[in-house]
Amino acid sequence: MSFGSPYFTLPEFTYHHPNNLEEAMRLLKTHGEEAKVMGGGVGLLAFMKERLMSPAHVIDIKGIRELKELKYTSGIGLSIGACVTLAEVAQSDAVKHHYTALHEAVSGAADPMIRGRATLVGNLCEAIPWVDSPPALIALGGAVRVNGPRGGREVDLGNFIRGPVDIDLQPDELVTHLVLSESPPSRRSTFQKFSVGSEFSVASVAASVVLGRRREVRLVYGGVSSTPLRSLEAEKVVAEGEVSEAMIQKAAHVASRSVQCVSDVLASADYRRHLVQVLTTKALKRVFER
Amino acid sequence: MRESEVKVNGQIRMREMKDNELLLDLLRDRLEVKSVKAACWRGECGLCTVLLNGELVKSCLVLAVEASGGEVVTVEGIGEDGSGGGGLTAIQRAFMEHGASQCGFCTPAFVLTTHELLRRNPSPTESELTEAVSGLICRCGTYNQIREAVAAVKAHDKRSVSKKLVESTR
Repeated sequence: MSFGSPYFTLPEFTYHHPNNLEEAMRLLKTHGEEAKVMGGGVGLLAFMKERLMSPAHVIDIKGIRELKELKYTSGIGLSIGACVTLAEVAQSDAVKHHYTALHEAVSGAADPMIRGRATLVGNLCEAIPWVDSPPALIALGGAVRVNGPRGGREVDLGNFIRGPVDIDLQPDELVTHLVLSESPPSRRSTFQKFSVGSEFSVASVAASVVLGRRREVRLVYGGVSSTPLRSLEAEKVVAEGEVSEAMIQKAAHVASRSVQCVSDVLASADYRRHLVQVLTTKALKRVFER
Repeated sequence: MRESEVKVNGQIRMREMKDNELLLDLLRDRLEVKSVKAACWRGECGLCTVLLNGELVKSCLVLAVEASGGEVVTVEGIGEDGSGGGGLTAIQRAFMEHGASQCGFCTPAFVLTTHELLRRNPSPTESELTEAVSGLICRCGTYNQIREAVAAVKAHDKRSVSKKLVESTR
């Protein structure tokens, strides 16, 4: 039943269901330009219904066992396979303890049914501005591991996400893992957002502060623009200032002035700037209170 | 087209599946499981929610072929006899007693979701309930009645557990 509208249907395609990575890479090599990789399918099927994408081939990677693993190794860090769902990331104790911002971003994303299907790597490959996990992963210094016919490579997330729905990935390549290096024990991180119910975030911030003589700070804003944005100016205030209420207020103020917010159907740029200030204050208070 | 089988509410159903067919359309239009509602088609309202291999999914976001060889359970399949023919579950009775549906369109999804919540977590807190149904929309706004229905099942369950405890210590 489609009410005669393409909106409710999917364009025609051939479905592939490879059982191992080699087979997936072979399919990408053959069909690359005309193919889309499907993890949870949440984003892809929505794009296809709206005819923003009409791939002739859909390669479902859910059957690939080696991409289903979430592994934390003390001293090395975390690797999350391309088929690991947001719900699985949210349930991981290692993520909760060592990468708090990521835990908070995925456990509050969308709703439980979506989290049970959508994958973390899918979030990144979709590169949609309002999605919560990319800012958190950029704040924590994440990278993706890419497999391709010319060998493997690792790309820093700041470079991987080039723009909305624009990523550094060739048609014959596949993102196999998200990787995060070991968190320094003195790192404090958090993710804060403003959203209505299970809707997309109107604005969000991921903050990561590594305490120490030289404080390392990252403040990454999501939902405010076409890609996640860092505020280097506000980071500098936090890195160099003495921890105090006044410093937090100053950083929040600097962030709201330096982050280039857009106006759209969800909110005006002015309102987003206000949210940036509120969320930065909230995030920094959390980080320094712990 | 591929010939596939899928178990729906305990029965094996064979169908030719098109690669670009949604699980929602397979269930609703071709297998005539009408409790699965089609409304937004974009994963926002959750009224097409079903259990796929034991997990709640929005069937408008799943391809039919992804369910092949798998098992789907809808609200028809959670009755006490498990095959949709008979008895109501505790949460279904509570929905009726507390008027937790108005137009009824969202009721199958809410019943299935809260049934599954209570199965996994017999005493959900307010926030756990809110979170569990956060992917579902009731356009009539019967959320408070749904809350009451779940609370009633919860309380009843607690009473029966404590009764059993008392009996077992006698």
